[in-house]
Amino acid sequence: MPEIKVTPLGAGQDVGRSCILVSIGGKNIMLDCGMHMGFNDDRRFPDFSYITQQGRLTEFLDCVIISHFHLDHCGALPYMSEMVGYDGPIYMTHPTKAICPILLEDFRKITVDKKGETNFFTSQMIKDCMKKVVPLNLHQTVQVDDELEIKAYYAGHVLGAAMVQIKVGSESVVYTGDYNMTPDRHLGAAWIDKCRPDILISESTYATTIRDSKRCRERDFLKKVHETVERGGKVLIPVFALGRAQELCILLETFWERMNMKAPIYFSTGLTEKANHYYKLFITWTNQKIRKTFVQRNMFEFKHIKAFDRSYADNPGPMVVFATPGMLHAGQSLQIFKKWAGNEKNMIIMPGYCVQGTIGHKILNGQKKLEMENRQTLEVKLQVEYMSFSAHADAKGIMQLIRMAEPRNMLLVHGEAKKMEFLKDKIEQEFTINCFMPANGETTTVITNPSVPVDISLNLLKREMALGGPLPDPKKPRTMHGTLIMKENSLRLVSPEQALKELGLNEHQLRFTCRVQLQDPHSDPDTLSRIYTHLKSVLKGYTIQHLPDGTVMVESIVIKVSSSAEEPNTKVLLLSWSYQDEDLGSFLSTLLKKGLPSGLSSM
Amino acid sequence: MDVFASLFMFWLVDMAHFDCMHITESCSDLHSNPLGGNTAAYLLLIKYWRRYRSCLAVDEMGETSSVENEFDDWFIESLKIYNNIHEYQLEHPTRVIEWTSEKTICVAGYSSDKNEILELLLPLKLFADDNQGLCAERDFKVVHGGFSDGSIHCLKHIPGTRYIIVAIDYVTSVCCHELSSSNCCFLLRCVVTNDGFNSNLQVWDLGGDDCDVIKRTGVLQRKSASSDKGVKIAPGLTGGPCVLHGSQISDIQLTELASGKPLYSLGKDIPDVLSSLQFVSDSVFLACACNGDLYVVDTRKPSALQNNPVGGREGVNWCMGVKTDLYSSDPSSCSVARLSSACQVVVSDLRDLRAPLCQAQLHVQRKTTSDDFMKVTWAPALDNCLAVSGFDGMVHIYDTASWRPELMEFQPLFIHRGHMMSDNEFDTSSAVVTTHVWHPSRPRTVLSAAVDGSVHVWDWVDKATASC
Repeated sequence: MPEIKVTPLGAGQDVGRSCILVSIGGKNIMLDCGMHMGFNDDRRFPDFSYITQQGRLTEFLDCVIISHFHLDHCGALPYMSEMVGYDGPIYMTHPTKAICPILLEDFRKITVDKKGETNFFTSQMIKDCMKKVVPLNLHQTVQVDDELEIKAYYAGHVLGAAMVQIKVGSESVVYTGDYNMTPDRHLGAAWIDKCRPDILISESTYATTIRDSKRCRERDFLKKVHETVERGGKVLIPVFALGRAQELCILLETFWERMNMKAPIYFSTGLTEKANHYYKLFITWTNQKIRKTFVQRNMFEFKHIKAFDRSYADNPGPMVVFATPGMLHAGQSLQIFKKWAGNEKNMIIMPGYCVQGTIGHKILNGQKKLEMENRQTLEVKLQVEYMSFSAHADAKGIMQLIRMAEPRNMLLVHGEAKKMEFLKDKIEQEFTINCFMPANGETTTVITNPSVPVDISLNLLKREMALGGPLPDPKKPRTMHGTLIMKENSLRLVSPEQALKELGLNEHQLRFTCRVQLQDPHSDPDTLSRIYTHLKSVLKGYTIQHLPDGTVMVESIVIKVSSSAEEPNTKVLLLSWSYQDEDLGSFLSTLLKKGLPSGLSSM
Repeated sequence: MDVFASLFMFWLVDMAHFDCMHITESCSDLHSNPLGGNTAAYLLLIKYWRRYRSCLAVDEMGETSSVENEFDDWFIESLKIYNNIHEYQLEHPTRVIEWTSEKTICVAGYSSDKNEILELLLPLKLFADDNQGLCAERDFKVVHGGFSDGSIHCLKHIPGTRYIIVAIDYVTSVCCHELSSSNCCFLLRCVVTNDGFNSNLQVWDLGGDDCDVIKRTGVLQRKSASSDKGVKIAPGLTGGPCVLHGSQISDIQLTELASGKPLYSLGKDIPDVLSSLQFVSDSVFLACACNGDLYVVDTRKPSALQNNPVGGREGVNWCMGVKTDLYSSDPSSCSVARLSSACQVVVSDLRDLRAPLCQAQLHVQRKTTSDDFMKVTWAPALDNCLAVSGFDGMVHIYDTASWRPELMEFQPLFIHRGHMMSDNEFDTSSAVVTTHVWHPSRPRTVLSAAVDGSVHVWDWVDKATASC
């Protein structure tokens, strides 16, 4: 039986470093190539030695697909392609292709320049790796080779995030990456058509949670910003150039407009242009409202948010500043933080995750004294707020996606198995499909039932239709007879006559004969007449003939009567019918074995 | 569904001939005439209508619709009136919220076929007092879950254990589920069989801490039942795990959970339908009948039964909320509030349940004709305050300190409107709050649920302290 194999190398029952191998129809595909942000050792990258102990990966993989630009989904890509070795195609969407190298370079700088690690990929490796990338458009089917095709669907989550359908022949797998089923201020909700894949591989990081509404998260953010500004404090929001920063800007802009707020909002230099550039470029990836208003007004050109100059940090009075980088490890955000940290009126809002070792990570752990360069210590007096704006699907979102795609099997990655028993039961009960949760390195095998297309001749169909009334009834399946010809990789169902003709064969006649004994005190011709009368009354609508040569014919079935001289009352009926009339023939023999009714006239 | 959709299309075509004013009027018509009681169809229609209306509004004004503005207004207002507010959307609406520990609650579905029972861990942010800012965790976690065949209309936790008891609608027997072997949790459930009323009690097992699934483990018998109204349940306060249950005053019975043995039965021939049941001490419990009569029963003295009619007040249906102080034997420390379907509240205490200490006509505009979700509760950590819900999409908080023995109308201290302001496509103007509970120790934290499946956790700003 054909089967699909799925092996998580990094994401199964674990969070971070997504990497999943899929074998389908003889093709091997790697889905995502992520990095674990919490580790500094070998556990940082997926275990590629599972694929091969030595040498390059190129001959073992047909393609690599990256779902979105978050480092836990693409962070190990340069390591895999340049250090382990892979030269095949890497597929990602246009926005991911544009943003991914920026984030990789950013991360490389922290690890190598700040933490002084060696044995890490270089800038050149990132560039070389990105040369292998083939961009994907939404809903466009891309042929990787003659048999393997892939198609991207919108996943929400972050700009450019995609779900991918992988198809070989009639077998298919859908991989979701991270997705979001509720639209937010700048992105839409994930969507997929009813593609009925053999397996739906879904992330399940938030599968056991019921998420607080976006609105309440935003409310909290505004409340904090508003309170600080009201008391004359300054608010610092360290952000990545791309991601949730745009969403927060739209939110603050709307709020400022509505509340008629006067305190200035700044965005780090360079950052606005860079971000706006990407959003303008990829406007089709944002939500409907932004696309619709884009013609009149660019949502990413703000009225209240202005470019930041480093001298502004010393200005008196309240202000809000968005600055890069997001983890406070260098650059402008760190400079501003140093200036503002000593004043308890100020506030820093961390809207995302911070890697271990960064200042961001330290202050989120509640550290109040920080050691800076030149043995200086910095006292943290300002208020620290941690807010998560990540857009992931929760349990309800997963159920919604299953309802949309109608998969035959479900596979959950990125979560803890023992906490997900209930979800597994729920999926299995509600959709009557199997649900798998493989651990890292554990292979899930799913047997598929690929459909085999057969062409049927029109003549045969017409003939069958003529036999069974004018309209087909879907509730009453009918058997039809025909000959299956397997020739040149195709299957055809045709009428037996046509098959004979095509194959140049003569038809063989196959006849059944059968003897039935009967007690009947009449002469042989009389018995035959009595049989004729009996059958005439039982078989209405059939052609029954009493032939002068002493036989009765029902369709093609011949009935003869004979008896021996010793026992003239014991009649032997000889029945003979062709293979085509097997049903009627066996019915007649059974009927005649029961004998003839007594009240029959012999004509 | 299709029939209604096409019906709606006709109606839409009709509507297109009117101007905007007409549409607004038709809207209020629609709200007061729910299609001959066909709620599903009504809600569906409203939903389509709202979508249509928002399209219309966008088309005519070019920008945002008035509906959106209303939501935005509330959003901005919420910045001032709440310290914290969290809004969750359950897949299926619940009409029970029950504390199972300091940080966990149980919710359960009430649809007619399959339902889920979920034990949820409240967001850590709510409990991180000192460094709330550093805690980003604001989601509910599903810690245990199970499946039930019937509609769950009552669910109670037995204090000091991990047992919960559940009653299912249109049922006469009671069953018991176990949440986990180390921490047990019982659900009381009732089933109707063809041969009249067969009563049993089922026991469920959730497995160990290594598993998150609630499974059924056994059945307990419930003696007789003659009413098709749902069974009311109340946990025993002390001693071994036991449960008080009944659907009428006459069939109230106390059953030991472990053995299924009846410990006490009322055995008085009073066929009044039961609306609320609660222990106020080890042996004394209160039973409120739907007609407003209140019974005080001492399980040690089977003959002692005290009937306290509500006396000359309006309202077809009554329910009660009781505030008890287990450490005090003073009967005045036990306040009883009775709420009627005519939106009256009568407060009395154990010294004399007949004479009201104070009472009030609530300032509530009923949006629903059903009395199913009526609920009144006393704030456990806020003196004299009670919460009322079930008449519309709001939860009202009242301070009874200013109430008087004469019936007068009073304004609420605080109104939670959040359930009517949800941003999903479900029609929120027809939202009805199904239940609410107070946080046991945080004075102003309330959890509430509505028919659209929303669950809110909110903590309102006390104006008195905020101003100084």
